[in-house]
Amino acid sequence: MSQLTIAIDGGATAAAPNTDLGGTVNWVLPKPTDALELRLLWRTRGIGTTDMQVVDRVRFENPKPMEHRAFRLRLPPGPYSFSGRLVSLGWMLELVALPQQESVSMDLVLSPTGQEIVLPQEPAAP
Amino acid sequence: MKARDNPFAVDRVLQWRYRPQGWDWPWLLQRLDQLRYRAAIVGPEGSGKTTLLEDLQPHLHALGYQSRWLQLTSQQRHLDTAQRAMLSPLGARDVLLLDGAEQMGRWRWWWLRDRSRRWGGLIVTSHRPGLLPTLVQTASSAEVFRQMVQHLLDGAEVPSDLEHVLREEGGNLRGALRRLYLRWAHRQEV
Repeated sequence: MSQLTIAIDGGATAAAPNTDLGGTVNWVLPKPTDALELRLLWRTRGIGTTDMQVVDRVRFENPKPMEHRAFRLRLPPGPYSFSGRLVSLGWMLELVALPQQESVSMDLVLSPTGQEIVLPQEPAAP
Repeated sequence: MKARDNPFAVDRVLQWRYRPQGWDWPWLLQRLDQLRYRAAIVGPEGSGKTTLLEDLQPHLHALGYQSRWLQLTSQQRHLDTAQRAMLSPLGARDVLLLDGAEQMGRWRWWWLRDRSRRWGGLIVTSHRPGLLPTLVQTASSAEVFRQMVQHLLDGAEVPSDLEHVLREEGGNLRGALRRLYLRWAHRQEV
């Protein structure tokens, strides 16, 4: 089983829109692997169908069995990370080994305040 | 509770796969072969038909078939132009998986069934029998619902009124899980 890790510079887990996000990916690959791909994506979770969009990808070709490589991504202007009772939108980085599709992911908050936007909620039902 | 923390969020529910009841996969694949891959998964709403159809895909791929997926709903009751165009190149190694076949009108269904003779197969889900020979009849049960809820709550206390919730939803597992989602959504954060 592959060991995959993602580390963001400074250990950040939140970032502002329209800024650069840098970090390092590490891997230990027991099987031959064509490439690894780092994906920046958002997805919704909640009561309805999950929506997801990959907004950027970085491909690491010809990986050695054990290696680390740096990455830098430009974060988009939005959508911001938010949470309500019925739907949440969260960002994540996902590192995928190809073609076997083993992966690891880490959550990321995209927000100008560094915190996810919490939607106002009506009073709780009795 | 925030949606992302809700144990009954749809993405978590969808991780639960169909649990065969009274049959196993070798039997099902043998029966499909006997039916020349023209068969229906029949059952009421929220009983696992779509999940079972999804779970069938890797088995078909392992047998060398390509699967194509189409879904009809009460909002879209017939194939649109793009979907019909997708059918054109299908051949002897293609199996069309059609979710919600009961939505189609009779003439459109006959047209599709006739066209499917050129394909490797046509497997549908339907609320009612009769469109194609029945492969499996799905049904929800209080026990399956309890197992799902236990799994989703991951050790947390399971509500004592699960049977009532499922009954209130007419046996529709999807509806019953949605009801639990809303119950959890209105809980105060601890």
